[in-house]
Amino acid sequence: MELCDRSAHKLLELLRSKQVSAEEIVRSSLQRIAAVDGRPGSLESGEETEKDRQSVHAFISVAAEQALDQAKSIDRQLAKGEPVGLLAGIPFSAKDVFCVKDTYTTAASKILANFKAPYTSTAVERLQKQGAIMLGKVNLDEFTYGSSNESTAFQPCPRNPWDTSRVPGGSSGGSTASVAAGEVPLSLGTDTAGSIRQPAAFCGVVGVKPTYGRVSRYGIIAFASSLDCPGPIARDITDAALMLQAIAGADPRDSTAANVPVPDYLATLEQGVKGKRIGLSPDYFQISYMDAESGEIHQKPVQEDIRAAVYHAAEVLQRMGAEIIEDVPMPNTRYGIPAFFVISRVEAASNLHRYDGVKYGYRTPSAEDDLRVMYRKTRNEAFGLQPKLRILMGMYVSAAQYSEQYYNRALKVRALLRRDFDQIFDPLGKYRLDALLTPTTPTTAFPIGAIYGDSVLMQYADQFTVTANHAGIPGISLPGGIAADGLPVGVQLLGPDYSEHTLLQMGRSLEIGTQDEAWRSQRPALTLRW
Amino acid sequence: MTDYEVVIGLETHIQLNTKTKIFCACKADSWDDEPNTNICPVCTGLPGVLPVLNKAVVEKGVLLAKAMHSDIRMRSFFDRKNYFYPDLPKGYQISQYDLSLASGGYLDIPMPEGYTRRVSIHKLHMEEDAGKTKNAGNLRLIDFNRCGVPLVEMVTGPDLRSANEAAQYLIRLRQLLRWLGISEADMEKGHLRCDANVSIRPKGSDQLFTKTEIKNVNSIDNVKNAIEHEVERQIREVEAGNRVHAWTLDWDEEKNELRKMRSKETEADYRYFREPDLLPLDLTQAWLDEILADFPELPLERKSRFISEYKLPEYDADILTGERNLSDYFETAVQQYAGDPKKVSNYLMNDVLRMLNESGKTANQLKLTPAYLAEILKMVDAGQINTSTGKSLLEKVESSGRSPKSIVETEGLGLVSDDSAIRAVAEKIVAASPKEVETFRAGKETLIGWFTGQVMREMRGKADPKLATQILLELLKK
Repeated sequence: MELCDRSAHKLLELLRSKQVSAEEIVRSSLQRIAAVDGRPGSLESGEETEKDRQSVHAFISVAAEQALDQAKSIDRQLAKGEPVGLLAGIPFSAKDVFCVKDTYTTAASKILANFKAPYTSTAVERLQKQGAIMLGKVNLDEFTYGSSNESTAFQPCPRNPWDTSRVPGGSSGGSTASVAAGEVPLSLGTDTAGSIRQPAAFCGVVGVKPTYGRVSRYGIIAFASSLDCPGPIARDITDAALMLQAIAGADPRDSTAANVPVPDYLATLEQGVKGKRIGLSPDYFQISYMDAESGEIHQKPVQEDIRAAVYHAAEVLQRMGAEIIEDVPMPNTRYGIPAFFVISRVEAASNLHRYDGVKYGYRTPSAEDDLRVMYRKTRNEAFGLQPKLRILMGMYVSAAQYSEQYYNRALKVRALLRRDFDQIFDPLGKYRLDALLTPTTPTTAFPIGAIYGDSVLMQYADQFTVTANHAGIPGISLPGGIAADGLPVGVQLLGPDYSEHTLLQMGRSLEIGTQDEAWRSQRPALTLRW
Repeated sequence: MTDYEVVIGLETHIQLNTKTKIFCACKADSWDDEPNTNICPVCTGLPGVLPVLNKAVVEKGVLLAKAMHSDIRMRSFFDRKNYFYPDLPKGYQISQYDLSLASGGYLDIPMPEGYTRRVSIHKLHMEEDAGKTKNAGNLRLIDFNRCGVPLVEMVTGPDLRSANEAAQYLIRLRQLLRWLGISEADMEKGHLRCDANVSIRPKGSDQLFTKTEIKNVNSIDNVKNAIEHEVERQIREVEAGNRVHAWTLDWDEEKNELRKMRSKETEADYRYFREPDLLPLDLTQAWLDEILADFPELPLERKSRFISEYKLPEYDADILTGERNLSDYFETAVQQYAGDPKKVSNYLMNDVLRMLNESGKTANQLKLTPAYLAEILKMVDAGQINTSTGKSLLEKVESSGRSPKSIVETEGLGLVSDDSAIRAVAEKIVAASPKEVETFRAGKETLIGWFTGQVMREMRGKADPKLATQILLELLKK
C-alpha cells in the first residue's frame, strides 16, 4: 500500500511519529495524480483518446509547487517540535466551486474559466489553518448542476476509479474520484441534493452532508443557497470526522452559519450504537418517477443488491446493539425531487444573474453597443446546457403569474418533508429515531453517456438524498458493500439537526462491524495497477 | 371647464447615515471619494460571497418606523429583487418585499395655510443601493462605491393634493430624518431621493386615474416645480381630449422641463423571492426596547409643547423646533436662565441663528453654550451689563470660548454701579446744563431721559442707567 492510499488519520500517526514526512506524503499523492489522472479538464479538449477513457480526470488544476512548499514548511515545524494543526501535512482537493485566493475558481464553466478569486472560502481557509495542504481543484458538473460530472465545460470529465467507463457521480464527482483513486485522502465537496453523498456512494467513499449552517458557505460559488452544504469526503469515517472538526462552526462572514457549538467528533466516535434507534422506511426502497410522455407516476424498487446491502447494514448495527425499527412512514419522500426542481432552479437562476460579462469572467469578444445584446451573447456563449436549462425553468416558475402554482407550492412541500423528519426524530413521538438508514442511491454508478441528456431521469439519482437538503438535516453516505456489477454501494444515515456526531458514531460502528467482510478489502481497479 | 384635483404619492429613498454599508464593512459614505474605492468582494457581488446584515441599519430603520407610527414587525424578511443592470453587480437587489420591517403608518404635515395633511405610509423597507452608471461618449463607466449603501424606501399613499403639499412633506421628512439622526437627508447629495407619482381627476371623484412617475429630481424646489409642470401638462392633455399615458418622466433641471424616459404600461416582474443568504430578521423585545430607549420627542410634539409650556408664539416655536440641536439648545438655555423663555427665544431667533447660518455650525457645536447664553441674559437682567453689551458678548464668547463673566471682567464691560462715580459725573452734567435744569424744574420732567443719556455718554455706556436716573432726579429735585 502506497502512502497515498492510506487514511488521513494513519498518515497523521506516521507523521507525528516521524516515520514519514509531509513532503513524502505530498509526493506520493502527486505521483498518483501523475499516474492515474490523465490530462486535466480544459475548455479545448479535442478528441477523446483511449488513455483518456482509462484515466480519472479528477483535477482541473494541480498546485504541485505550492503544495510541496507547504509540506516542507510543515516538516520544518515538526522538526523544531512546534505545534502543528489537526490536519498538518494531509493533502486535500477542493471542488472547483471553493474560492481560493489568487487561484482559478471555475465552477467548471466557461463563464468563469478565467476567474481568480481575491479571497479564500472559509472551509478551505479552516483546513489550511489546520495544516492541510491543498493539492488542487477538482472537476464537477458545470456550476454543480448534475449527478454525473458529464456536464463540466472542462473535458474530459471525471471517471469512476472502480470502472472508468462509469460516471463517478456528481456533482462532487471530481472530489470523490480523487479520494477513491488514492490521489488525496480528503476532499471538500458541496451537497445541494446529494452532490456529496451520491458520488461518495458511486465511488465507494465516505461523504458527509452536514446540517445546513454547520459549515460556512462563505466563498463557495452558489447553486441553491438555501440547500447548499459544504462537507467532507474521505475514505473512512474517522477521516471524515477529522475533516468536519476542522471546517465546522459559526462564521462571521456567513450569517446562515449556525452559532451552535461544535462537539468533539472524535471523542464520541468509538462509543458504539448500543440503544440507538435506527429506522428503515419503505419509502426509501422505491423510486417514484414521472413518465415524461404521459405524466404518470411510476414506482420502481431500488436495485436488489442495494436493498440487500442496506438490510445487511441494519443487521450489523442490530448485532452491535442498535434497535432497528421497520416500516417508518416517510410519505412525502416522493415529492422531494419535484420540489427540488422548482426551488433550486429559482435560486440558481438568480444566483447566475451576476455572470453578465460586466465585471469578471467571460465576455463575448464581439463588440456590442447594445448592453442587452452583450448580456445575451456573453451568457449564450459561455453557459453550458445545464445552466441554461436551469435559468429557463427558474425564471418560469418564479414569474409573478406562476410562482403561486410552482415556487410557493414547492416551499409548502418542503415544509412537509421537514415534518416527516420532525415526526420520526421527535423524542416524544411514535418512532423516537436517532437515525434513518436508507440506500444512498437507487442504482450503482451508471455508464458514461447512459443518462446524460435526460435531466429529469438524471435528477432521480438524488431521490433519497435530496430530502435531507430540503429538511436541512445531516446525512452521511458510507460504503455498504459491492454490488454484483463490481461497483460500490452506499448506505445513508440521516439524523436530526446537528446530530453529525451520532451519525459518525453509527457509521464507525458499521465500519467495525463489517471490517472482516470480503468486500471491504476490495480496491478500485485503477488503484491496483500501481 | 372641469375643476381638477391633483393626486400625488411620493416614493422616497432615504440613505441612512451608518458608518458602513448594509451587508459588508465598506465605508458607506463616498461623497468625497474616488470611484470604486469603497468596495469589496461582497458589495461588488463576486462569486461565493455572502451578505451579513449591519445591525445599525435595522436600528435606524426602526427609529424611522416608530416616528411614522408604523407597526414594526418582530420578524421580517429580506427578498431578492431580480433585474439586470451593469451597476447592480449581483443581478439582484437585496430588498424587503411582502414582510418588510414595518407596515402602515402616517406623517402629519402642518401646512403654512393652517390645515394639516395626514399622509399615509404604504411601504417602509430596508434595502441596498445600486452603483452609479455614467455615460462617457460610447463608454459606460460604473462606480460601485454606492453598491450596498443602506437605504430605507418609503412610499406614501396617494394622499398629497398639491405640489406644495409634496414640498411640505419633503421638508417635514427631511426635518424628521435629521431630528432622528438617521440620515443627512441632503437631496443634493442624494441622501434623500424622491420620485413623484402624479395624476389628476375631476374634483369630487374618488377614483385614481393613470399616473405618471417623475424621477431624478434632486431638490425640494425642483420636486415642486416638476409636479406643477406635470399637472399643467396632464390638464392640457385631458382638456384636449387625450389620454394620460403611464410614462416615466425625467426632470431636466437646466431646461426646467420634463422629458419622457419610457412608457411603463406593464409592471416589470422582479421575481421576488426570499433571500436565502440571510436569516429572517428577528427583533427581540429587548433589542427593540434598547433601540427605542432614547426615542426623542418629535418636532411637532415639541413645537406644541414649546407653545404651551413656554408661551412662545407659534412662529418662534416652529423655528426653534426646526432642528433638534437648536430646540435642545433653547430648552437647556431656558432651564439655566430660569427667566422669561421669550427672551431666550429672541436671542436665539435674532442672533444665535445668524451665527449658526454664518458659521455653518449646528447649535450643539457652538462655544457659546446654552449655559453661557443664560449667564449673559442673567447679567443683563441684573443690570451688570446693558443689552448692547450683552449682544456683543455673544460673538466674543463664541470666538474665544471664554465665559461671559470673565470677558466682562477683563474687558471692563460691566456697568458702573458705584454711586460716587456716577454722582460725580451727574453733578458735572447738572452744573454744565443750567438751561436744561431750569426747564426740568419748570415742570418738563421728561427731560430726565436727556440727562441720563448725557451721563451714559460721558461714561461710555457703562453706567447703570437706573442708578444714574435715580441720582440725577435726586440732584435735580434738590
